[in-house]
Amino acid sequence: MTEFFEIHARDGPARIGELRLTESLTTPALVGDRIDDAGSLWPEARETPAGDRDSLTVLPHRALPAGTPDEVQSAFAVDSPEIDGPSAAVLSSETATEHGSDAYVLSDAQGLVGHARAFVEGIVDVKRAIPDDAALYLPGVATPANVALLAYAGVDLFDADRAVVKGTQGKYLTSDGEQFLVDLDELPCACPACQQSVDEFDREDCAAHNGNVLRARLATVRARIRRGRLRDYLEGQARHEAWLTAAFRRFDQQYSYLEAHAPISRRNELLAASEESLRRVEIQRFAERVTERYENRFSNPLVLVPCSATKPYSESQSHGQFHDAIGFRAHTVSMTSPIGVVPQELECTYPAQHYDSVVTGEWSAGEIEFVASVLEAYLERNDYPRVIAHVPDDYRQITERVEESLDTEFEYTVEAHPTTSESLSNLADALSGELKYSKREREHNTVRAIADYQFGPAAGDDLFEEILTEGRYPKLRVHSDEHLATMVPQYGTLALTLAGAHRWVASDAPTKIVEIDEFVPHGSVLAPGIVDASEGIRVGDEVVVRGPKAFAIGRATMHGRVMAEASRGMAVDVRHVEER
Amino acid sequence: MSQPSPEVYEAGKGMDAHNAAMREIRARNDQTYDPHEPTRVWVDEDNTPDGVRDSLTIILNTGGCRWARAGGCTMCGYVAESVEGGTVAHEALMDQLDVCLDHEREHADEPCPLIKIYTSGSFLDEREVPAETRRAIAEAFGDRERIVVESLPDFVEHDRLADFTEQGLTVDVAVGLETATDRVRHDCVNKYFDFADFVAASEQARDAGAGIKAYLLMKPPFLSEREAVADMIASVERCAEYAHTVSMNPCNVQRHTMVEELYHDGGYRPPWLWSVAEVLHETADADALVISDPVGHGSDRGPHNCGECDDHVQTAIKDFDLRQDPSVFEQVSCECERTWEAVMEREKSYGLPLAR
Ligand code: SF4
Ligand SMILES: [Zn+2]
Ligand SMILES: [Zn+2]
Repeated sequence: MTEFFEIHARDGPARIGELRLTESLTTPALVGDRIDDAGSLWPEARETPAGDRDSLTVLPHRALPAGTPDEVQSAFAVDSPEIDGPSAAVLSSETATEHGSDAYVLSDAQGLVGHARAFVEGIVDVKRAIPDDAALYLPGVATPANVALLAYAGVDLFDADRAVVKGTQGKYLTSDGEQFLVDLDELPCACPACQQSVDEFDREDCAAHNGNVLRARLATVRARIRRGRLRDYLEGQARHEAWLTAAFRRFDQQYSYLEAHAPISRRNELLAASEESLRRVEIQRFAERVTERYENRFSNPLVLVPCSATKPYSESQSHGQFHDAIGFRAHTVSMTSPIGVVPQELECTYPAQHYDSVVTGEWSAGEIEFVASVLEAYLERNDYPRVIAHVPDDYRQITERVEESLDTEFEYTVEAHPTTSESLSNLADALSGELKYSKREREHNTVRAIADYQFGPAAGDDLFEEILTEGRYPKLRVHSDEHLATMVPQYGTLALTLAGAHRWVASDAPTKIVEIDEFVPHGSVLAPGIVDASEGIRVGDEVVVRGPKAFAIGRATMHGRVMAEASRGMAVDVRHVEER
Repeated sequence: MSQPSPEVYEAGKGMDAHNAAMREIRARNDQTYDPHEPTRVWVDEDNTPDGVRDSLTIILNTGGCRWARAGGCTMCGYVAESVEGGTVAHEALMDQLDVCLDHEREHADEPCPLIKIYTSGSFLDEREVPAETRRAIAEAFGDRERIVVESLPDFVEHDRLADFTEQGLTVDVAVGLETATDRVRHDCVNKYFDFADFVAASEQARDAGAGIKAYLLMKPPFLSEREAVADMIASVERCAEYAHTVSMNPCNVQRHTMVEELYHDGGYRPPWLWSVAEVLHETADADALVISDPVGHGSDRGPHNCGECDDHVQTAIKDFDLRQDPSVFEQVSCECERTWEAVMEREKSYGLPLAR
């Protein structure tokens, strides 16, 4: 039970929390001066502390530093007494288990920070072992350069100890690293400690400055988490220290850990500024779902086109021209870095219409590799009678690679540039004689494609075999004899009605279910009312809420594991409910 | 039979784990040694209750400590200096003695009045050093003033000490007490005896007309810098009652030890030399000679400060050893004292180490 820690907002594994002391603390934050340490059991036995609302009591501990052999770790493990007040249990990344405390202090942090692999593995292990809604404290390690990464990994609490000690050593810290005080010609900082000449600035001032910068960084980190933009910030910031970049990359390889924490969709734009962006969960998840869930239902030829800066693509000038040339005679798929390939039905689906890339006109080796592998996987799953590549020259290094590996040939229609009249008429000519598909077919296939993407392979046929669509794309409403679902244009997803939810439960597609106690939820379901929840639920997912008294459909605001474990917070935003 | 208390049970479990871990770590060491050569021998000068004397220090190679073979102390790599097969015969030990006497003839102007014999174990353990050898060594040094022999408390017996007192030698038994705090000695050092055993050994020694030199270990694993300093100050004060000399020595990182494992993975830093100075300063009026001999000072694996001041502080410590005057520490200062103070104030045992 985490009585004194509550999570208010999330951005991937990072979170905005509240440590509810008498004077509450918004995390990620420095907690060093709010700690009441009940003491180490190595030198002496300790009394069980009384607990105190003003501070976070670190329960009596026998801390195991980095390198402690396994048998020693288990022989010296301690139990955590329950106290009346906010409490923290000390554990190592090896011995991490649930202790019923509000926070957990990691005793081998010094051995993890600075070593990308040990850090990523250690943090992921600890986060899996302790309850998601408990705070994690890494003592003695935070610096202005690493704190954003630590928070990104899901660490909530820090102290200024390392920063202060470095100050006493004459090391001047900034968000991009450290410099020796003696090497500074001027003080590149606006904090109060730096408002003097560099000649008078001593190590005590340096320690004060280091603390100030660390606090300022944490404020930035909190602001970024609130806006769902911590990742973008890190992509720029982490490159200043080699281990941070390496840790960041390794985190991306912990796909299942990150994926569990990543929402299905976000309100904000996703800025893809670097090659790191290719490894983002949102990007990887989109590529994975397009190549493993989505199914092309058109029997027409495929036309590959370049992406456009305007989103959704169909609203751009270039795609308007392609559209006119194609005239509903082909299925259009856009090729893009960093998303991979985007079938026309999914052009609104997050993050296809939400990303913004820094266009340089140059493809990096990583981008070529990524887009080619996605296109290849896509074409392996989806058969087309013909593939027409209406792409500029720089895309050919990708398309040719795919032709070669699939042993197939594409038809090329571009002269100089895809929007020249010559190119466009080549495209129109290439499609002459092909049949047109109807608006109805297009709309039905869009609904089914989104269902595949959202609910799993073949879900589109399973849920929406016989349907009617109403409304104007992209605001489609899906009916049979009753209203089943509505397309949400901002995210390119489907919002189900109760009838749609019943179909989902009855279908073969895996249903995401939240089991609740005996009550009828109105507006929202709070975590304490939840009995169990599917592991696979992600923030933003459609979920069926089911209990002895009610059946409802809504949108998840926590991921599945947290729903099952958390003792507070809103878990589901309920859209429709019926009593039963 | 009474039930063991949870505390006792815990100590047993911890000891088993420490021993298992240490056995495994030591097994990685495959060095062997020539049983006809001492491990080390050197000539120096030392402060004794009768004043500063030239000294011959001998580390006999006796096959190593029995406790270490069970696993043993978390910081101790001495077992690495043992011989194949585990025991060294009388004749071989006498060869070692000859090497030491040759060394003395070569490096000292005249025979040293003070002889110190260590064995990486217990000189008074007859399974390590047979009675015959002990007597021969006592005779060989019979003309000297004082002899110090190392032993665990178990083997401190009247008769064994009598071999030396009968020669007219002043005898001191050097006991590796490590700390006066049983809990730290057991759980952090993994040394099995109790403070009470040390007290009993000191009584045995007194009955035999011998004195006690207590060896303390500053900063075993798992303690913060502040906890380590506090443990030493309390320990010096407690053992001054039973020992005329207390040698308080900072831990260094020896090969094939648990401390080395921690050090490698970033979970251990040897103590600051400022901490050594602090303890000597704080215990200057204890009722015993308090000395320290930091080994490997200034290196990463040894006690160290910032790298700039290590030699100066080491010199001050050595100076204090000879003169027992705490004002020697006022002569040394460095910018890194501020870092040390910050570490003393801020380092927690759950965040070890806060600075390198
Ligand atoms: S410190 Fe002494 S008792 Fe402990 S293992 Fe080493 S030699 Fe043996
Ligand atoms: Zn500043
Ligand atoms: Zn210094």
